[in-house]
Amino acid sequence: MSNVIKGVFGAVLGVLYGGLGMLQIVSAVTYLALPFVPASFFGGFVLLVIGAVLLTGARKFAQGLDEGVVFVNVGILLSVAFGAVTLLAAGAGALEAVIAEEAWSIADAITPAVYLAVIGAAGFLAWCRTFFRGLVAA
Amino acid sequence: MTGIRIALTGNPNVGKTTLFNALTGSRQHVGNWPGVTVEKKTGRIDWNGHAIDVIDLPGTYSLTAYSADEVVARDYIIDENPDVVVQVVDATNLERNLYLTTQLAELGVPVVIALNMADAAEAGGYAIDREKLSALLAIPVVRTVGTRGEGLDGLLDAAIREAETSPHHEHTVGYGNDAEAMIASIVDVLSADKDLTKRYPLRWLAVRLLEGDENALAKIRDSPAFTGVQALLSGIDPDEYEAAMADRRYEMIAAVLPQVRTAGAGGMNVSEMVDRVVTDRYLGIPIFLALMWGAFELTFAVAAPFVALIEAGLAWLSATVAGSIEPGWLASLVGDGIIGGVGAVLVFVPNIFILFLILSFLDDTGYLARAAFIMDRLMYAIGLPGKAFIPMLIGFGCNVPGIMAARTIEGEKDRLITILVNPFISCSARLPVYILFAGAFFGAGAGGVVFLLYILGIAAAIGSAKLFRHTILPGESSPFIMEMPPYRLPTAWTSLLHMWSRGAMYVRKAGTIILVGALVVWCLASLPFGVDYGSSASLAGALGHLLEPLVAPLGFDWKIAVALLFGFVAKEVVVGSLGVLYGTGEGGDALSMALLADPGLSAATALALMIFVLLYTPCLATIATIRKETGSWRWAGFSVAYGLVLAWLLALIVGHIASLFLGGA
Ligand SMILES: Nc1nc2c(ncn2[C@@H]2O[C@H](COP(=O)(O)OP(=O)(O)OP(=O)(O)O)[C@@H](O)[C@H]2O)c(=O)[nH]1
Ligand SMILES: [Mg+2]
Repeated sequence: MSNVIKGVFGAVLGVLYGGLGMLQIVSAVTYLALPFVPASFFGGFVLLVIGAVLLTGARKFAQGLDEGVVFVNVGILLSVAFGAVTLLAAGAGALEAVIAEEAWSIADAITPAVYLAVIGAAGFLAWCRTFFRGLVAA
Repeated sequence: MTGIRIALTGNPNVGKTTLFNALTGSRQHVGNWPGVTVEKKTGRIDWNGHAIDVIDLPGTYSLTAYSADEVVARDYIIDENPDVVVQVVDATNLERNLYLTTQLAELGVPVVIALNMADAAEAGGYAIDREKLSALLAIPVVRTVGTRGEGLDGLLDAAIREAETSPHHEHTVGYGNDAEAMIASIVDVLSADKDLTKRYPLRWLAVRLLEGDENALAKIRDSPAFTGVQALLSGIDPDEYEAAMADRRYEMIAAVLPQVRTAGAGGMNVSEMVDRVVTDRYLGIPIFLALMWGAFELTFAVAAPFVALIEAGLAWLSATVAGSIEPGWLASLVGDGIIGGVGAVLVFVPNIFILFLILSFLDDTGYLARAAFIMDRLMYAIGLPGKAFIPMLIGFGCNVPGIMAARTIEGEKDRLITILVNPFISCSARLPVYILFAGAFFGAGAGGVVFLLYILGIAAAIGSAKLFRHTILPGESSPFIMEMPPYRLPTAWTSLLHMWSRGAMYVRKAGTIILVGALVVWCLASLPFGVDYGSSASLAGALGHLLEPLVAPLGFDWKIAVALLFGFVAKEVVVGSLGVLYGTGEGGDALSMALLADPGLSAATALALMIFVLLYTPCLATIATIRKETGSWRWAGFSVAYGLVLAWLLALIVGHIASLFLGGA
């Protein structure tokens, strides 16, 4: 049962990542301004990669392969990791704006990498036990 | 007080250097991949009235050495007779590690096993019965955790005890009737040579000879027993014996393991899950690229507020200097020369530290080793072993250790190619140039431009490797099976320490080489007396105009020509020189403002300049290292010439194409 949920979760999140990744790339190439979707070619590429990992997982689920869960799990990890990276970068941007006395708005920080990572993080918390097995502190 | 020499040996990536650092208080480089240490390093400690020399050796899977770094380890153990050999063993991977143990036992040297990474084994659910293991191998076994410095006292005590007891009980593998008969007859022939008998254990030598070991053969070449041994070996196939005897060793290990180890619960852990995905056939390289891009985003974004602070500080400093120092030339020396030159480089300290923090993190977790694995197929396609990607990864920090890391490459031609392409990997010293120019001319796209430059560096390295393979260094390389270190969650502390030790070098360079470079350029810009500072009439101007025709096709003016010339010393000097020449003693982000205001510079020339800086000789130290590692000035000269030509051509082509799109040039 939990596996079916995870498969669907991976498929939905994967489609969202893929779609918004496309939009970012399109708006970077065509200078189209969209709300909450920054024009960023490489940023879009990253979203596409995460989407591809999640969708690969969903596909394997659909084929009845156990490996699907592995891809969805790692997709969730990547989603959270890049969400954190983007948030960190946005926080630094805010700090810089304060130091250099420039304008800054919270809207700049609301990008797909961040709001999709919120969904990813929900998945991470829901299945968090799988993520800590066998990991060793160096 | 007695002196004791302890050699640390073991498979690659088992934590030898970590233990060495913990024992001796050194800071040798540690990395979560095989082949980090390529030279032997010695450290001295006093312990309970003993003066102990600890020697850290490169990792090796067996005493039959194949690559240059393995030879270092083997020769030290066999020929330098350390008082005791500590074999560092990865407790999570006993199968592969105990193979070396069987060979060391045969050699008859006093051995102590440091059962390292005990924490990882325990976390993985393994329990290892050390007493049983010790009894079965007749070797003391001590539990250690190198990263936390656990078990060091016990290790030293055991090592001293072993060094001082004699004789040692050797506990060697039996190779079966056939091989044993051959060994016995070889030993018989060898024992006629008393000199040999004194130097090497004959059984060990006989085994090596039977396996067809070239190095062992060389050891007896001058011995009177040589012809006799040759006669014995003439009818046999050494490969067959080598394989059969290796089987026996593994059988022995397989017999020991179940008696000493209870395995943990099954199931895929996170490490295995992540591996399955990041090394996926199709997704592996895209994920690698995505992570790299994330790394540069962070390098830019997170550093920005700190850079802004430093800029503000420098602006204040130069304003103070300008107002309070007399006479004018001294104010110019301090303002234009020191603050302008060194300050321009120091501004980027936050970027450098963050880049190193990210690289250390990726390295410590074990991801960089995976990156090498992912690239294996690509590397193999261009005719290099996948291992050759590791020197490239190290080159992202600095090309000098990157080139030295090529010692892990087995074939001589493979190694040469790996060395020659390493300078194209963009080292951290080039980052300030990119940040300065990309930041000034590409605004929000700066991160993407820098990312592309790094990719271009990798492409230039791979393309050149393919070119060399098909022209001057033809051949085929053997496929390589890479061992993957487990993922580890590095503590913030280890990563910070790594970052600090690498980043501190940058700051030190700013205070030495770059300071000197800035002062030289300042002198050139101020002389002859009475000339307008930094004008065409100065010595710097004369020098620049002399070089200008060479770089004019690329759209560079004399100031850039001078900066590039001094950039041979080190790449940060390019930024330092420009800081001096543009006379931006006002500090702050004045240099990027001055560059933007220069009508001779456009986004296209900035791009051409960054490409030129990416591809031409990284620094004098790199040239010296290439000379040292290849043993010839010819290759060093070739590297400089090839780099210059490639840099010039690509800068020209890209500059012209870019000027079509971006305008200017
Ligand atoms: N969990 C754990 N990690 C360790 C321990 N000792 C070392 N490490 C980690 O293992 C990795 C390899 O350590 P090194 O000391 O570079 O290994 P080495 O044997 O010198 O490797 P080469 O020089 O490549 O042969 C690093 O990431 C260390 O932080 C340990 O006892 N426990
Ligand atoms: Mg080492």
